[in-house]
Amino acid sequence: MRLRNQTWYPILYMFVLTLILSTILIVFGIFTHQRVEDNTRIAFERAVIEVLPIDLPDNISTNQVHQLYTQLIREPDSSSGTALRCIQADSFIAYALPIQGAGFWATIKGVIGIARDQKTVTGISFYEQNETPGLGGEIVNDAFRGQFVGKQLATGTVPLDIRMTTVPVDENSVHAITGATQTSMRLEEFLNAELTAWQQIITGKGK
Amino acid sequence: MPNEKNIKNVVLDTLWRDNPIFRQILGICSALAVTNLVLNTMVMGAAVMFTTALSSLTVSLLRRWTPRVVRMMIETLIIAFYVILFDQTLRAYWPDMSRSLGPYVGLIITNCIIMGRAEAFANSNKPGLSLIDGLLSGLGYAVVLLAVAVIRELFGMGTILGIPMPFFSSNLWDRWIIMVMPPGAFFTLAIIVWIFRTLQFSKQIEAKGTGK
Repeated sequence: MRLRNQTWYPILYMFVLTLILSTILIVFGIFTHQRVEDNTRIAFERAVIEVLPIDLPDNISTNQVHQLYTQLIREPDSSSGTALRCIQADSFIAYALPIQGAGFWATIKGVIGIARDQKTVTGISFYEQNETPGLGGEIVNDAFRGQFVGKQLATGTVPLDIRMTTVPVDENSVHAITGATQTSMRLEEFLNAELTAWQQIITGKGK
Repeated sequence: MPNEKNIKNVVLDTLWRDNPIFRQILGICSALAVTNLVLNTMVMGAAVMFTTALSSLTVSLLRRWTPRVVRMMIETLIIAFYVILFDQTLRAYWPDMSRSLGPYVGLIITNCIIMGRAEAFANSNKPGLSLIDGLLSGLGYAVVLLAVAVIRELFGMGTILGIPMPFFSSNLWDRWIIMVMPPGAFFTLAIIVWIFRTLQFSKQIEAKGTGK
């Protein structure tokens, strides 16, 4: 009891408790760090594999994703700009361009697949987003992503147009998500910025 | 111990008489934010139960050594410790859910229910009873949140736990998009608070009438 009456006791008590709890958290962080890193990497690899024009088994496992990624994907080179290259049986089949930009609530990260003609979209996938579930969060669903497959990238500042559902779409456009105007607009903005920059690089007009 | 209550009183208080959501209107920030999907709400409820139970237990275990002048700092430290532990576990073992809940798990640290139970109960009661009080306070929070989430997901998306529900997922039902947006949470929570409080009030009138 005498110890508790000392003026320095609260400071010492705080210090010791903070030290104990922080140590436990640091140890737990070290223990789970690799797993967290792996989860982030696997999410990216899965997004890349999903946008390629290849047949994937249903419910593909994490190991299969990693195996496929290692087999098919090559780092970007001068001919692919910032896009990863997909090579199957020694022949080039598609580009996988990582994209990211501000969403409604937080950064959206994804990958768009583009065929070797540099125009036809082979798929789009998102591996990080915090959009409103049920609204903007629908960008991860097949119904929205499926619209992109087969679309043609236009040249200019708007390679892909995201239109309201009341307006008909053409070969360069898809429909937005009803009730998620902000997410759709922001996605369109950064997607087109990334695509335009990539087109400029591969056509030699950019740096 | 003058402040000790028996377990029956703890159960009644935390789940009904002093329910953190519809009686004390505590912790409704996250109640409004995560309740547009039932699965997210279940995980959020589990996170709050885990944090409230273990932080109440720890606060109670340390209460004889904790100086009163720094007790709230200590309580915040303990709460933050358990929240970070839960958040890191989600990141490592359930990354999809971690991404889906976003910053709201971290914000449990600021949930008034947890600090409220530490201050009002765990500081002056035995560890076992504090653990039960914390666990049931979290459960009281989770149950009300779940009620809000079921209504919002059903009316807003026509599903429960992502499973399409008859009628609500058909063309006969025009999805109420407002239900999955923030205003939908306000309307639903307000109606639920109104219903539960009316029920509580009529029970009180009955009790007075019968002289209990």
